[in-house]
Amino acid sequence: MAKNSEQRDLFAGALELMILHSLRLKPMHGYALVKHIKQVSGDLLQVEEGSLYPALQRMLKEGWLEAEAGISAKGRPTRIYRLTDAGMRRLEQEVSSFEKMFAGITRVLAVSNA
Amino acid sequence: MQWLKQLFSRRRRYDDLSVSIQEHLEEKIDELMEGGMSREEATYAARREFGNVTLIEERGHEVWQWPVLESIWADLKYALRQLFKHPGFAAIAVLTLTLGIGATTGIFSVMNAVLLRSLPLPNPQQLFYLQVPGGQPYGATNTGNTSETSFSAPVFEALRQNHHIFSDLMAFAPISGIEGKVALRVGNSAEQAKGDLVSGNFFSGLGVAFAQGRGFSLTDEKQHSSAVVLSYAYWTQRFSRSPSVLGQTIFIKGIPFTIVGIASENFRGVEPGQSTDFWIPLQARPEFDPWGTSPGDFTLYGSPNWWCLNLIARLVPGVTPQEAIAETNPQFQTAAYASLGTPNPKRPRVKLALIPAKGIYGLTDSYREPINILMGLVALVLIIACSNVAMLIIARNTSRLREFSLRFALGARRSTLLRQLLIESVLLVALGAIGGWLVAIGATRTLAAWSQLQVNLAPDHTVLLFTGVISVLAAITFSLAPLYIAANAPVTGALRASASTSYQTRQGKFGGNVVLALQIALCFTLLTVAGLFLRTLLNYENTNLGIQTQGLLVFGITPQHMSSTDAPYIFYRRLLARLRVLPGVQSATFTELRPGNGWSSNIEAVVDGVKYPFSQVRLSVNHVGPDFLHVLEIPLLQGRDINDSDTTTSPRVVVVNETFVTKLFPHSNPIGHQLGDPKRSYTIIGVAKDSKDISVDEGAVAMAYFPYTQGEGAPSTLQVEVRSTGSPLALLPSITRAVHEVDANLPLEQPMTEVGVFQDSYVQQRLLSRLALSFGLLATLLVAIGLYGTLSYRVSRRTTEIGVRMALGARRSQVLNLVIWESLRVAAVGVATGIPLAFLTGHLMESMLFGLAPYDVVSLVIALASVTCIGLIASYLPARRAASIDPMRALRSE
Repeated sequence: MAKNSEQRDLFAGALELMILHSLRLKPMHGYALVKHIKQVSGDLLQVEEGSLYPALQRMLKEGWLEAEAGISAKGRPTRIYRLTDAGMRRLEQEVSSFEKMFAGITRVLAVSNA
Repeated sequence: MQWLKQLFSRRRRYDDLSVSIQEHLEEKIDELMEGGMSREEATYAARREFGNVTLIEERGHEVWQWPVLESIWADLKYALRQLFKHPGFAAIAVLTLTLGIGATTGIFSVMNAVLLRSLPLPNPQQLFYLQVPGGQPYGATNTGNTSETSFSAPVFEALRQNHHIFSDLMAFAPISGIEGKVALRVGNSAEQAKGDLVSGNFFSGLGVAFAQGRGFSLTDEKQHSSAVVLSYAYWTQRFSRSPSVLGQTIFIKGIPFTIVGIASENFRGVEPGQSTDFWIPLQARPEFDPWGTSPGDFTLYGSPNWWCLNLIARLVPGVTPQEAIAETNPQFQTAAYASLGTPNPKRPRVKLALIPAKGIYGLTDSYREPINILMGLVALVLIIACSNVAMLIIARNTSRLREFSLRFALGARRSTLLRQLLIESVLLVALGAIGGWLVAIGATRTLAAWSQLQVNLAPDHTVLLFTGVISVLAAITFSLAPLYIAANAPVTGALRASASTSYQTRQGKFGGNVVLALQIALCFTLLTVAGLFLRTLLNYENTNLGIQTQGLLVFGITPQHMSSTDAPYIFYRRLLARLRVLPGVQSATFTELRPGNGWSSNIEAVVDGVKYPFSQVRLSVNHVGPDFLHVLEIPLLQGRDINDSDTTTSPRVVVVNETFVTKLFPHSNPIGHQLGDPKRSYTIIGVAKDSKDISVDEGAVAMAYFPYTQGEGAPSTLQVEVRSTGSPLALLPSITRAVHEVDANLPLEQPMTEVGVFQDSYVQQRLLSRLALSFGLLATLLVAIGLYGTLSYRVSRRTTEIGVRMALGARRSQVLNLVIWESLRVAAVGVATGIPLAFLTGHLMESMLFGLAPYDVVSLVIALASVTCIGLIASYLPARRAASIDPMRALRSE
């Protein structure tokens, strides 16, 4: 029921993949996630802040994440998102399917270059 | 149950989201401020980068929702709020629908109960009444409601053997025919109840369940056992559902019977249109002859030519009625003619027919036509109601065009808007349907009382389904209206135009006028029909009966335990003598048949030895007591009345009426001539003026009144006619005492006023005229509301135009006429359409009219006047409002 059509990610599922991957390192709150992705990608990937939260809700609903009350770096109350076992499995699946896709795209591009 | 948990955890999820987003923004603002921005700048920048917080929260919420369902819920809430904001509109729309749906459902309940509903028995589709179209064979005699429904005992015996066709064939017949009820004694109290004689397989064959005890067996039938089964209703009313009644003895016509069972609550018997109080097995003694009377000395088992039993069959599963008829008809004919000799080859042979046991009038069709007419009329009311509401909705939606345009401009989709408008329509219909259902429950109670039908008219699930279907149809009608709006609402036009500027296309106005004219046509038709029925009713009420019915009381009396042939005469004489001297009684007499109750006894006239065939003269006969003409105040034209000196031993005499004389003695004096078989003829001693015999609407009938003392044997039941000096019913207690002085066990059978007897003969017409009038008034009200609403709306839309006209010199009277003429023009078109429609309807109901033609000018003129009045009244208020527009103000608002 999620409205995927309004996602402005690079491609479908990319935002989810990044969130899952980031949260595997450590549980984080929303703003920290945004900053983390920006930092790690060396500013190449900009997370649309507006899409982050609906995406988080979707993933909560799927059971990949859990939210718990926590305190932000600045000492304000917030919600910390944590990866669940189901989320971990999902991440593995996603990673392998992305890898296949990249491999495919790479091959196609290689052919056209030749 | 996952979804349920989600529903409850949702609030927490929403809070989590808000907290997260809030913290996100705060943190970003802090960061930006650290970068050197002011708080204000930082807040602005953070929010801009983040996007629309509310929208994002909404999208986050949606994850946890069922978007379609929940937006419908939101629309519903919005629609309810809208209705509360415009209570006038909501009230009129819902009330209109309530009346329309309620009236339709009410009439359909009657149709369902009377024509459609099956008997409350297992596998009712296998049950069929047996009939003989065209009546019993020539030479046989019948007693029954019509000759088509009666069968003889030998025919019943022959047919019931066909076990491969009829899994059971049941016979039934009332114990008392003419007045319906028989004398019954429980302990010391004498009363009356309606009983049927039935075959032994009656209950088992029909599949009747028992609340207490048992039904009958074939042994009960063979031995004519003195067992009785009570109906649940009678058990409740008479014995307060006491379980100890089983084994108790009750006296029916003075004979003891033992109560063996109580039928289940929903079984009211198989007598069409009536409920039966008790059942006994077929009896061999003459007191229990079917219908309480037999022609001559016929008995049920001893007279094979007496057709007096009604039959109902349960077909073997898989056998069609056609197969059953094909299989049993030869056998039926053999049995039918067995005792009559070789059938006359010139006459058509009798033939069996099977009528599905459905509705209460499976046996007679007299209610089918009126009910179909009523259904048609009420459908017209429903059409008016629905078109009214549709116009209201269109008008209201048109005035909301600015709102819609604004919403389009802000990005709403047409489908969203359409959905919301549909939900508003559906909400109106749902409220109207609920109201209609309640109205129908009330209406059927009133109808049951008015119609005097002993059937359960309460709406059942068939009726509920029907209401559902018409509501859905109504909802679809109203959905077309918003569809039009949603498809045509301009995005910019309405926004640019000012509120008061007319936004009504020529096309829209024309469409509105067509609907209004159609409504007026239907209303005109309904009013004409109401007029026709009302005038019919008036004709019934004002017909000269030839009898002074005012002040007459009538009741039946059945003397019991008569030991000799003379005993009844002695009883009747003593009773009359006692009644004559009762204070408040002016005079009293007997009659075998109550004038006006629909029954007559007809014979072939034999005058001075010459036989006149039935086709030439139908002679109705009645056996009456002394001073009959005097008591009923039927004028005596010639000769003398029957009096006390006409006894069993005195010379046989008869009084005839005017029509008798016109037909049989056109040129001579009838007095002294002989009527009847030469071996037993009666001397004509008097001529009475014509009077109504069986009903108000009968034509002139030749009548002969014989003294009750000079018939073939004493009548088993006589009706007593008492002329009172005051109110007839006030005499009842003293009459009851007087009767009990003569015989303590005798109840007064069906005591009522003679006025009431005649009124009952046109119950159906009264009911029809009341309903037709209700529908006519309802339609008038609805049309008036519709017309008023539409015209007011148009005037409010044309405020500016009218302002301009007035500024340019139009007078107030001209403005007034402008609006009123518009209304009258529409009314004229409506009437022009309505006249042929009214003619057609009048023609269809021709057979139900009395004393007037279907093209009754008076009814048409009344309908025309009413419609014109509606046109004037409904347009006057809006017209006055238009005329009082202040041109300066109207133009300033532009």
